[in-house]
Parts: sequence; C-alpha cells; structure tokens
Amino acid sequence: MKQRFTLTLALMLALVTVLSACGSKSNTNNGASPSGSASSEPVEVTLAGWGSSPEEQALLQQVLDEFQAKNPDVKVKYEVIADQYMDVIKTRLIGNEAPDVFYLDAFEAPALIEKDVLEPLDSYVTPEFDTADFETPMLDAFKSADGKIYGFPKDSSTLALFYNKKMFSDAGIDAAPATWDELLAASEKLTKKNGKKVEVYGFGQAPELARQMFMINAFGGKLADDQGKATFASPEAEKGLALVIDQHTKAQTAGQPSDVGAGWGGEMFGQQKAAMVLEGNWAIPYIQSNFPDVDFGTAEVPTVNGKKGTMAFTVAYVMNKNSKKKEAAWKLLSYLTGKEGMKTWTSKGFALPTRKSVAAELGYDKDPIRGALVAGGSYATSWQAGTTLPTIMNNFNNQFVAAYSGQSTLSDALKKGQDTANKEIEAAK
Amino acid sequence: MAKPNVKRMWRDAVSGYSFMTPAILIIGGFLLLPIAYAIFLSFHKVNLLGTVSYKFTGTANFERMLDDPRLWIALRNTVKYALIVVPSQTILALVLAAILNMKLKYRNFFRVAFYLPTVTSSAVLVLIFMWIYNKNGLLNYFLEMVGLPTYNWLGDPSVALIGIMIMNIWSTAPLFMVIYLAALQDIPESLYEAAEIDGANGWKKFWRITVPQLKPVTFYVVVMGIIGTFQLFDQSYIFSAGSGGPNNATLTMVLLIYQYAFKSLDMGYASALAFLLAVVIMLITVIQRLIFKEEKLN
Repeated sequence: MKQRFTLTLALMLALVTVLSACGSKSNTNNGASPSGSASSEPVEVTLAGWGSSPEEQALLQQVLDEFQAKNPDVKVKYEVIADQYMDVIKTRLIGNEAPDVFYLDAFEAPALIEKDVLEPLDSYVTPEFDTADFETPMLDAFKSADGKIYGFPKDSSTLALFYNKKMFSDAGIDAAPATWDELLAASEKLTKKNGKKVEVYGFGQAPELARQMFMINAFGGKLADDQGKATFASPEAEKGLALVIDQHTKAQTAGQPSDVGAGWGGEMFGQQKAAMVLEGNWAIPYIQSNFPDVDFGTAEVPTVNGKKGTMAFTVAYVMNKNSKKKEAAWKLLSYLTGKEGMKTWTSKGFALPTRKSVAAELGYDKDPIRGALVAGGSYATSWQAGTTLPTIMNNFNNQFVAAYSGQSTLSDALKKGQDTANKEIEAAK
Repeated sequence: MAKPNVKRMWRDAVSGYSFMTPAILIIGGFLLLPIAYAIFLSFHKVNLLGTVSYKFTGTANFERMLDDPRLWIALRNTVKYALIVVPSQTILALVLAAILNMKLKYRNFFRVAFYLPTVTSSAVLVLIFMWIYNKNGLLNYFLEMVGLPTYNWLGDPSVALIGIMIMNIWSTAPLFMVIYLAALQDIPESLYEAAEIDGANGWKKFWRITVPQLKPVTFYVVVMGIIGTFQLFDQSYIFSAGSGGPNNATLTMVLLIYQYAFKSLDMGYASALAFLLAVVIMLITVIQRLIFKEEKLN
C-alpha cells in the first residue's frame, strides 16, 4: 500500500548503491569483446527504445532483420521501455544493466554526456560511414563541448502548421496563414462557439516549453545563458509568449487539447476540434490512419516578427560506455544510422532522415505534406539547451500553465518560474 | 550451582535467537538498514550516474529545504489534501458503516459492493477517473445536466487537486468502513436497549452511544488516514504524468521526493526530504495521541 512507499524508497536507494557497487567492480574489465575470435556464437547486442506505433515497431524490426541477415555474427535483442524512458535508462546505467545501444533525445543528451556514461564514437567512424553527410545542427546536438561525437541522429522532425482544408474553405480562407497576424485573423474566423462554449478552436496550442521555445527566440529572447541559468523572464521572451497566452485568454480563439477533451494536438486536430495545430511528422501517419476523413494540408509555421521559426526534435542512437560488446554495438549503431539502414527506417515517412543523401534520395522536400516539415529544418530551434534544461523546463511549464489558465499574469509567471529554476540549479551544484 | 543455569540460559538464548533469525534478517535487511542508509545519505551529496561519489556535506541538504519553493508548495498541497480528505473519508466511512449495520435487505450485497473500490488497483482507478474527469467526460456531463458550471478537471490548476481528493475519498472510505463495521458489532446491544427505554431517538443513539464507543477505532482510522494522505503518490503521479502539474497543483511531498531521487538523481537531497516527511508524520501522530488521550481522562 502507499504507506509503504517511504520504506520502499529507502530500500530502492539501498539497492541502487549495492548495484552500483557491483557495477564498478565489473567495469575494470570493460572494453570491446576480443575481435576476430573465430567463435561461431553470435554476439547478442541489446537495443532499447521507447514504444511507438505498431507500424513503426514493425518497420524497425524490418531494419533489424536486414541487419542480422547481413551480420550473422551479431544478434540484436530489442527492448521497448514503455514508460518514463529516461528514468529507467538512468537507473539502469547506474546499475550497470543498461542496454548496449539506446535511443537518446537531444534534450537529454548534454546531461548524459557530462556524466561520462556514453561512449565517444569518433574512434569507430570509418570513411565509408561519412559523418559529413549528417545535417550539421542535428549532429551537433550530440557533441560534447570539446567536439567529441557521442551519438548519431537516427531521425528528426520539425513542427509545421497542420490545417483542416474543409474548415478553411467553409470559412472562406483560401491559403494557409503565412504570418502570425494572419494566423490570429484566421483563428477568429475558424472558431465556432455554441453560446459561450467553444466547440471548435481556430488554433490548437500546446502550452509547454518544448513547443514554445521558438516563440521565446522570435523577438530576441533567450531561454538560458551560457552558465545554464534560466533567462526566459525577459521582455523580449514575454513578447513572443504573450502571442500564445493572449490568443487563449483574451481572443479565446485558441485552446489546449484538454480544453476539448483530447490528449494531444494531433488528436484534437483529428477530432476536428481545432482547425489548425502545430505538430510534427509523427502526426501525419496518426491522422491518416485514425481519422481518414480529415482532409488536411501543411504549411510552414507562420512568421513571427517577420522571421521564420519552428522547433526541431532529434533522437540519436548512443552507445553505453560500459558495454562489453562495443565492436558489435558499433556494427549495429552504424548500420541503423548508416545510409542503408536510415533509408529503410525513414522510407515510410514516420520520421525524417538526418542524412542529406538519404533525404535527397527519398525526396521528402517535394512531398506535398512533408515538404513544409523539411523546409523548417534550415531555420528551426533545436530542442536543447545545456544540462539544466530539464529543471528549466519543469519550472517553465508549471508557471506557463498558470499564465495560460489566467491564474497569474505572464510576466509574473515567467519571473517566478525563472527564479525557482535558478534557485534549484544553484542548489543542485 | 549456577553453572547448569548459565548453560541453560545460553541454550535458551541460542534457540530463541535462531528462531528469530529469519525475522531479524528480514527486518534488519529491509527495514532498519535502509532507514539507517537513508539517514546516512541525507548528509551527503551523492553522485550515482557516471563516477559514483559520496561527499559529506553536513546539514547542507537540510538547509537547502528552507530555500526550496517547491518543497513549500508540496507541503501546502499535502496538508490541504490531508485536511480535507481525512475528515471526509472518516465521516463517510462511519456513516456507511452505520447504515450497513442496520437490518437492511440485501445487506451483504451492499457490503461487498461498497468495498469494491478498495480492492481495485489505484492505477486503474486513476485512469478511469481521468476519463470521467475529461473535459467532455461523465462528470462534466452530469454537472451540465443539473446546470452547474463545468471544469477542465485535468488541466485547470485550481481544481486538479480536488479531483484527486474526490477520487481518494471514494476509494479509501470503504476500507475504513469495514473497520468501523467490525467495531460496531462489538458495541453491546444492551446499551441501545437501555437508551430506547429512556426515550432516545435514532440520532441521539448514534451520537451519544455509537460515536463515543467507536473512539479508539476513530483514532486508528484518523492516524492511518493521515499517514496515507501524507504519502499520496500514485494518484498524483499518474494524474500529472510525474510532473506534479498543472502549475504544481498536484505536487505532493512523495512526488517531490520521487522527482529529486529519480529525475534529478539527487539521492542525498531526496533522502533528506524523506527524513523530513517521516518526522512530520511522526509529529502529527504524537499530537493526535495526546489529544485523544486527554479526552479519555476527562
């Protein structure tokens, strides 16, 4: 029962240290497995990632099968971590039970790189692997301060404006908004109210930092400084974020998914409770398979303050520093992020390739729906900001919701969030 | 003379302790040792990920609490939660038990039916309630039907904690109801008969006989209720996906400990917070004991 929680916690703390003590002993004989040994037993490499749609899972399995067919000496054990991915990975890293190769979001990368639990990959790279082929900002997200590469991006996505074509033609709007003012005007026309209750929002928003960071940058604000301190309570940042808040609290032409009983933006859009949303690549197969009747188009995110902006999310494959099968792990990692593996993985459009050659071959820049997402890649703000981002994000989100629900003014909320975040960052040093 | 005695004492001691060994090992290994270790950790700055290190920092972790705004939010939420949930669930449990103790038709069916929420896993309960609390969900549907205002129960910071309160009262009250029910059977029937002869009505009998007779049980129920509410974790964890949001509205003490321990991997500070929570719960229990004892004397 819950009464036992403190006890269990104490127990876990004890267990964790015991495990880590065991771990440090076995670390001493770390290193690659003896290569070139003539054993016919295949080496088993574990690969871990978070769960995704069944279609994506099947596609990944296909890539893994192809890899194993080409490398009979390596056997891949694929694990799905269903919930709280980073908590599980960190705990398993401490206990020296971590998988050999695993997914890592760019947003968590600086912290893990700093803790020195990932294997630097520079020494494994061969000329055929062609590092220069990767999109530079995506690769930079997994580099340490001294320029070592700790992970290769497997795919990425930016945000684009999804709009419901039928609602647009019903409201007499013929083109997707290109500027934020046009977006506000269009939202006005698209919002449908029943008395005081909004039934369809013109624009569906996600009041969280991961989706709004580019709004902070739009007028020259910055999320954090070089020391990792939060700096988002500036007038410049407020100006951008006010566009989000005011549209919800004042104009009431925008709402969040939970306002209409949806779980996230893609669902809100699919259920036709929002005429426009900013979503990424992941929403395309979701809407197409769950809401086939919704006729939608995409466009680049409308310009704010005359400048283009959007968010970019990247995930890489990284190698565990304490892996005992580094040779085989690299074989897997280099196949998955190599030209061949990435081509299969991104062939169905669930995710966009991070290699220029693969992107050119698959031609997503000319795809009517994915073109807008590809175009965003050149000016997107990467979802990353140093090792303190998790703390900053937690405090920003909490306070931003307060402003979003009208409980406090935006400037008070930002100030409070920044102070709390900086206090916490200072205390954790 | 004394020799055989000593020998016998030894033999007794050896056999006694060997019988107790399993219990000592389990309690020592899984209760005392972890507690001692948590106290040890709370005076250290611990780094587990990467190079493992323990740095003695004295009372730094405890000083940090004073300046941690999120701790005060968590404490305030937890106290608010306990102040509303404990009395409500105790009264509800008592009333339900009193009703089920009457000679009703299908009494056993109701006893089982009322107990069901307690048997259900709390994770499942939360997920079902989140569906009920959905903006277009069941609860808002009923509120709208009777002309009351509707809320965004999951997203609005001002009502999110109330949502968890309702859920928890509903799911824990039956557990205490069973305890009350057992205690009610123990009240001698003669007391009620005597009161009836004196002309007491149903309400008076309940207020003057049932409630005072149940006092020791009430003490138990309130103490367990407070411990349970102070350790609220699973509901708010699932409700907010581990963040304690919206706007820290569902951030509880244990959730905060969890966040520091497993999200920030700051085991030292998390242990210090767990220590604080244990002290707070102990203090409240001692105070309650004093209050209940004092009234006993009167």
